[in-house]
Amino acid sequence: MPPDSQQTDRNLTLKDAVLEAMFEEMESDQNVILIGEDVGAAGGVFKQTEGLFETFGADRVIDTPISESAIFGLAVGAAMAGSRPIVEVMFGDFLTLVMDQLVNQAAKVHYMSAGGFNVPLVLRTGIGVGGNLGPQHSQSLHGWLAHIPGLKVVMPSSASDAKGLFKAAVRDNNPVIFMEDRMTYNLKEQVPEGEHIIPLGSAEVKREGADVSIYAVARSVHTALAAAEHLQVKNVSAEVVDLRTLAPLDVETIVASVQKTGRALVLDGGYQSFGITGEIAATIGELAFDYLDAPVMRLAAPDVPVPFSPALEAMTVPSAEQVVAKVTGMYGGLD
Amino acid sequence: MTDNLTPDQNSAILDRMLLIRRFEEMLIDLAGDHNFGHYHLYIGEEATGATVVESLTETDLLLTTWRNHGHLLARGADPGRMVAEILGRADGYNKGRGGTLHLTVRDVGFLSTSGLVGGAVGLASGAGFALKQAGEDNICVVFFGDGAMEEGVVFEAMNLASLWSLPVLFVCENNNSGAISAQEGGFPSSEIAASRISDIPKSLNIKSELVDGADVAAVHAVIAEAVGGMRKGSGPAFIEAYTERWPGSRPLWPTQATGVTQLAAAWDPSLITGEYAGWIDEFDPLIRFIRNQLDAGVLSQDELRERDSKICDQIAEARAFGEASALPGPESALDGVFAA
Amino acid sequence: MLTKDKLLEFYRGMVTIRAFEEEVRKMHNAGLAPGLVHLYSGQEAVGVGACAALNSDDYIASHHRGHGHCIAKGSELDRLFAEIIGRRSGYGMGRGGSMHIYDPATFNLGTNGIVGGSVPLATGAALSAKLRGTGQVAVSFFGDGVLNQGILFESLNMAALWSLPVVFVCENNGYGEFTEIDDVTAGRPYAKRGEAFDIPSEKADGMDVLAVHEAVSKAVTRARNGDGPSFLIFDTYRYSGHHVGDKQEYKDDEERELWLSRDPIPKLADMLVAGKKIKQAELDELDAKIKVTVIAAANQAKKMPEPDADDLARHIYAA
Ligand SMILES: Cc1ncc(C[n+]2csc(CCOP(=O)(O)OP(=O)(O)O)c2C)c(N)n1
Ligand SMILES: Cc1ncc(C[n+]2csc(CCOP(=O)(O)OP(=O)(O)O)c2C)c(N)n1
Ligand SMILES: [Mg+2]
Ligand SMILES: [Mg+2]
Repeated sequence: MPPDSQQTDRNLTLKDAVLEAMFEEMESDQNVILIGEDVGAAGGVFKQTEGLFETFGADRVIDTPISESAIFGLAVGAAMAGSRPIVEVMFGDFLTLVMDQLVNQAAKVHYMSAGGFNVPLVLRTGIGVGGNLGPQHSQSLHGWLAHIPGLKVVMPSSASDAKGLFKAAVRDNNPVIFMEDRMTYNLKEQVPEGEHIIPLGSAEVKREGADVSIYAVARSVHTALAAAEHLQVKNVSAEVVDLRTLAPLDVETIVASVQKTGRALVLDGGYQSFGITGEIAATIGELAFDYLDAPVMRLAAPDVPVPFSPALEAMTVPSAEQVVAKVTGMYGGLD
Repeated sequence: MTDNLTPDQNSAILDRMLLIRRFEEMLIDLAGDHNFGHYHLYIGEEATGATVVESLTETDLLLTTWRNHGHLLARGADPGRMVAEILGRADGYNKGRGGTLHLTVRDVGFLSTSGLVGGAVGLASGAGFALKQAGEDNICVVFFGDGAMEEGVVFEAMNLASLWSLPVLFVCENNNSGAISAQEGGFPSSEIAASRISDIPKSLNIKSELVDGADVAAVHAVIAEAVGGMRKGSGPAFIEAYTERWPGSRPLWPTQATGVTQLAAAWDPSLITGEYAGWIDEFDPLIRFIRNQLDAGVLSQDELRERDSKICDQIAEARAFGEASALPGPESALDGVFAA
Repeated sequence: MLTKDKLLEFYRGMVTIRAFEEEVRKMHNAGLAPGLVHLYSGQEAVGVGACAALNSDDYIASHHRGHGHCIAKGSELDRLFAEIIGRRSGYGMGRGGSMHIYDPATFNLGTNGIVGGSVPLATGAALSAKLRGTGQVAVSFFGDGVLNQGILFESLNMAALWSLPVVFVCENNGYGEFTEIDDVTAGRPYAKRGEAFDIPSEKADGMDVLAVHEAVSKAVTRARNGDGPSFLIFDTYRYSGHHVGDKQEYKDDEERELWLSRDPIPKLADMLVAGKKIKQAELDELDAKIKVTVIAAANQAKKMPEPDADDLARHIYAA
């Protein structure tokens, strides 16, 4: 069912906030369609599309075969022909099956046609570690996608942001990849009613601080916020910058923060090698070197497949303790 | 269908089916005590796996999916180590890294267990290629669901297997029949425009057979013939084994919808009650096979009870073994990314 | 019965493509059209016969051997040449080249550098047309090489499931690059691959523009009536091999001559003349006129400026 917009308590989960955004966008634009595996009558394997099928019908909420490659290619064709598809790829890991259509077709059509065709679509997918799903259902491959010109990559950390970013993504005329960490699905917060748009490419400082900037997206933002609490006890005032979108990247906000604090730690749930932490660290190095009091540090997932066992899985997610340790290390250790 | 299985073979198949059923039932209970993530059960499909292995040799290779427990047990994997893996423990076959979705047992010939729909099928053609190159008469069997028939890679892999006459037995376990419709909140496992799934491999010139996957003798007849031909170099074969979906696996998470199986239901109709009585009476492969063996006079009720109780003991032991196994040391998470 | 005008339109279309490709060959040999160019010469009957069965707002999606489809669907010759030689007035400002020509004005979803790329694009356009209720149809052109791409099979399934107004047109020219298609493709006849999904499937002579037109017209009617997809295979031949410069040592003379004897252009010309619809001399005159037009377009393109540095990063994102 659509989340009830009349309710006074607008505390929604991230999952429901995105669902609300889908309801609103499908309501206001006939051309918006949802397409994916089990998104229709079943309401999504995580109940993330519940109610859409009943409201908008089988023509606009389309259950597909298990054919990720063709589903996405088909969405690109539909987008070129005037539809505005939201395509759901059940797990971010299955982006591997979509990659050709995404990288070789969707990302390049506007450029190659010199603006003749747009590809207005949203690819929505759940990512991240948690729930013991094992190596093929736990990956965070956002770094791959942010690497490709022509794609936009959005990674909300909170319910309100998720709604505002999702609506912006649907209205964007480009292929936008909207990645939610499944571990943030049930985080609740106040979500504005109705028209609430967050422009893509706008980072947000989620916590102000004076001593060190911690950059993160999605679930890692919460890790950074938890670490900031611990650091406060050690008299280190940490600023937490939520990038919110990787492409476009809000370089201005990134640089402004480190200019103020002089120290930077980049945190990410994706792999460290050739991942987004390196990109942001380099951006800071190039644009704010003179403001730095310490080398820019990185903390990301270790370069291993995500193992199933609960004992091992947690090792692959950067923790608040590790953040604290990294930051204190930047001061040569603190206690 | 002529029943050309020997009494010993039938007996072995029955034991495998019982073992699988009791293992899967135990898992439902285990899931109440431990959180081991999403899992899939083979209940209702036991006759297929338990019978296919009858035509295989020790050196044949196999691949499977998330719905693998039945295949592994049928091939003789140790249930204790399987439970350990499912619980993510150090004694698990994959040291806890795979869990139920990726449970693989190399010792009994399994190359890979894929969590991706269609994921193992491409590998199977590769394995068939290697076996053909090696020149022995080994074959590769790949088990997959009806959903895999929607993935392009399966079609590509079948084209190659057909073209190069690779010894690959494609076993498509079609449990879509009876799947509660999505409108009722269930998950059909495939949406295929083909009126028969086997029309697809047929279009690639692959010999294809359709068989009742809950009928031991019928499964054996088609598999034995296909495997016999393959060992002589006749190229791949495709078997669609259809089963009526077990009501417990209609929703996303398995439920004990049909209760703990009462074997006496095979001869005592008063035990077949409840919402799913029809499934038990008509489609439960285990009940069907027990009836068949009793009717043939090669099995007695007492013997069955005795064998079942032995198997239940074995399962209890396996569970205890798995639960007692330690979690792996966290530092081991970083081992083994690359081969030495 | 097709009118004389319609038949002449076919003729004009095929001769234009042949002449166009000859100019492209010259441009390539002169170093003006660098990279890989794949000529459509020999396959004209397919593109012309198929596109003639479409309305101007029907979609097509094409492939790496796609100049012919663009011309048959009505793109402007000078802008096509300009794209192929990398000039700013080309359809992609010279940044796409031969394998990436998109023309929204003719509802052309592009030539494509990825083998199989056209298949889901056309299927998706058909889905969109169906949802929006526009009555448009989409045609996917692809080579025989695509018969072995999984995405074809995934798309056939969805097109059949949802009864989409799409026509799958396989141009079987016998080879994928330098490999004979029959050596790498299991199962005969290939039309079975469509039939497996309960899609009406048929093979027809791709060297006969009338046969192509008839088969595609039937399929388009079916699609427009809401009766779903069709799968068509046309046997044809690429005279110039895989790309300009391909020495074609893998083909023998006998094969080449056989296909030349089936050339769709003289076949139609003979029919027109024999049926007394037109005199050979008139056709010769038409040929000459077309040649002049094509050469003029080529010259026009050559005069066009190249894109400049400011164009490099233009259009990466839509506004
Ligand atoms: C590539 C890929 N797409 C989607 C999924 C999600 N998924 C897991 S099981 C399943 C249904 C598979 O049905 P089927 O192949 O018939 O196997 P069954 O579970 O019925 O035995 C889906 C869609 C996946 N694991 N991999
Ligand atoms: C996905 C992909 N694989 C391989 C290639 C390289 N390639 C370009 S054309 C071609 C042959 C295609 O053959 P076919 O589809 O029969 O078209 P034809 O060239 O005969 O018109 C190949 C393999 C490619 N461009 N894309
Ligand atoms: Mg299934
Ligand atoms: Mg070809």
